[in-house]
Amino acid sequence: MANILLVEDSHEVSLTVQEILSAAGHTVATAENGTQALARLKTGSFDLIISDIWMPEMDGIALLKAVRGAGNAIPVIVISGGAPNAPLTYTAPLASTFGANEVLYKPFENRELLNAINRALKAG
Amino acid sequence: MSAAEATAEMGIPTEVNNDRLAAEAFNTVNAQEFLDAMPSAAVVFDDALRIVAVNRRSAELIGYNPAHSIGRPLEGIFRTMFERYQRLQTVERDPRFEHHFNGSWYIVRVFPLTGAGRMSMRCIVAGDISIRKAAEFEARENEARLEEATRIAHLGTFKVVWDSEHVEWSPHMYVLHDVSTEFYDTTISNYRAFIHPGDRDHSERIYLDMIAGKAVRDAEYRILRSDGAVRWLRIDTRVLFDADGVPYGSFGVTQDITESKNREQELNDLLRRNATLYEALEVSPIGVAVLTRENERLDFLYLNAEFQRLSLHNSFSLRGHGLETLRPDGNVEAAWENALAALSSSSDGSFEMTCRRRDDTTFLARLEIAPVLDFPGREAVAYVLNLRDITVDRQRAAAMLQSQKMEALGQLSGGVAHEINNLLQPIIALSELGMNIAQSDPVKVQRYLDVIGNSGRKARDIVRQVLTFARRDTPDVASHAIAPLISGALDLAQSGLPPGIALTRYITTGETRAVVNPTQLSQVVLNLIRNAADATDGRGEIKVSLAAVEIDEIEAGRLDIKPGAWLLLVVADRGCGMDHYTVSRIFEPFFTTKPVGSGTGLGLSVVYSVVTGWGGSVRIESEVDKGTSAMVYIPVDPDSARDSGASDVAGSG
Repeated sequence: MANILLVEDSHEVSLTVQEILSAAGHTVATAENGTQALARLKTGSFDLIISDIWMPEMDGIALLKAVRGAGNAIPVIVISGGAPNAPLTYTAPLASTFGANEVLYKPFENRELLNAINRALKAG
Repeated sequence: MSAAEATAEMGIPTEVNNDRLAAEAFNTVNAQEFLDAMPSAAVVFDDALRIVAVNRRSAELIGYNPAHSIGRPLEGIFRTMFERYQRLQTVERDPRFEHHFNGSWYIVRVFPLTGAGRMSMRCIVAGDISIRKAAEFEARENEARLEEATRIAHLGTFKVVWDSEHVEWSPHMYVLHDVSTEFYDTTISNYRAFIHPGDRDHSERIYLDMIAGKAVRDAEYRILRSDGAVRWLRIDTRVLFDADGVPYGSFGVTQDITESKNREQELNDLLRRNATLYEALEVSPIGVAVLTRENERLDFLYLNAEFQRLSLHNSFSLRGHGLETLRPDGNVEAAWENALAALSSSSDGSFEMTCRRRDDTTFLARLEIAPVLDFPGREAVAYVLNLRDITVDRQRAAAMLQSQKMEALGQLSGGVAHEINNLLQPIIALSELGMNIAQSDPVKVQRYLDVIGNSGRKARDIVRQVLTFARRDTPDVASHAIAPLISGALDLAQSGLPPGIALTRYITTGETRAVVNPTQLSQVVLNLIRNAADATDGRGEIKVSLAAVEIDEIEAGRLDIKPGAWLLLVVADRGCGMDHYTVSRIFEPFFTTKPVGSGTGLGLSVVYSVVTGWGGSVRIESEVDKGTSAMVYIPVDPDSARDSGASDVAGSG
């Protein structure tokens, strides 16, 4: 079982993902944006990050850049609110470019998320 | 003196026989007979001045019988002539004079005769010179007239005798050359100095050609006067010939043509300028045509190359036709009516209309009309037309509009998708998780269902807002008193505000009514309050005012609304404010300054959509770190404005 940092500003989505992860036996810490996430990473030890992209203060792409820029190879799963081809979601493909292990588009099935976690943990 | 001597002396033609015998025979001729044969009048008188003989011509002249004249004193018959003779005799030995008598002119001479016994006598001979005199008078008169004519025409005349240095000048020549008659010596070399250096060779050649007998040409050249003035002279010259037909000099007329030369120069300059203007018009990338009024109708005077290219007409094919020629058959565009009206009212204008080419194809044109007025307020004497083919511009603009629409649609759908996707996530995930634990943990399932329900409702709200923005649904509007509706909406908003934010109300409109939908009005107020609250960062004051205002023409122009009675709702905060760029985009759907999740990005675009739907207007004024004011103008219901009595309350906020 993994210790996961969930970064998501939407209260509903955060609660939902926490429930999925808990039911699968993972432990979860939460942050509402990239800044909070970086603070948590300093104090805690995590096996995986699940991050939204479009967030206030520090978005998911900036977080990813900061993590990878610091030489941290922790597996990262990006969950995007936009459809793959919608104009506002250009940041989702960008996430892969900046080193995200997996990109999921909301709304996803619970199984999809758990499978992605398994793949990312193996890769890491 | 013998009769023969007398004849010779008088120059009267007589056949003279040199033969001696004939000469002797002549001496026997009767003197009276001789006198009578003379064509001139002759009277002989003695020393006592008594008439001795009168010839036939003389008797005819004075109407006296010769027999009656003999022995009478000369004075009694030829009194005036005698008096003149007496006077002249005292100074001249051989007096001769011209005498006017009975309407004729005579040349009168008196000479002595010696008769038999040394009797001393004198003979008066008067020859009729009336014809010569008349010719003389006429010549003198002509000369006087010529002098007068040259003086009036400012003509100078001159005469040159080629083998002399001297030139004869008429008085006006001195005036033309601005020199004194007293001090200027009119010589050829002096004259040369007058001629402008640039014209010296040319004038010299004309003069030499004339002397050489090659050609006689009129000359035009400049002179430099002593006062510094440059004058143009024109010289017409004729060659003078002596009695043997040998040319010896020339006579000329000099005229100052400076004024006409200057006019000629001005005309040339004008023509050159016109030519340049014409060339400029021809290469203009805009179609230019000139219509002039002829015989009370407008006709094409000129079409430039571009106008011809656009219309496929030339100035001949449009001659005699008005602008209507370019109007397609059966065309009913208002722009055409307006353009033709402009042409009949001396006014200008810009029109977009369909135009017909000569080959009956059509194009979309922008036609600008400008009247040419010789006096302001008068009827135009001509019109200038500018013609452009805007078919391509229009297509480009339409394509641009379409791409903007697509971009907006993409932005809208992307924004909606993002929000809905976030809300679908708990519905899908929690329903699955809930099913797994339906039996084991019903309390948790209840919590899941609560989240699922809330997510669904949030999604519904977003869809509604999008539809409002898109105006797919058009809620019913009716006349309502606005103040109570605003107060109600503010009550609702207040309950949702953080405790650190104070809401201050200034509502002064009483019963003033406007045609609105109350739900939409609440939506507008709630959106504006929410924006203001978000900008204040949880603490501060939001001022809300509602006032009836009168918008004058100037203010109306600034706000792009109609002048008249309006309700002005102002929501003002002292929050973070916005920069110009943000304000300029603030009404775009899904444009948001807030952290993701805080807002839908639809708030102000919904406000804009709703208020403009009522015929109103929204303005945002903002300054970074100073705050933002949202001003909503709602038109007062004209049917209720009279009895509301609130329109005199000044606006505030």
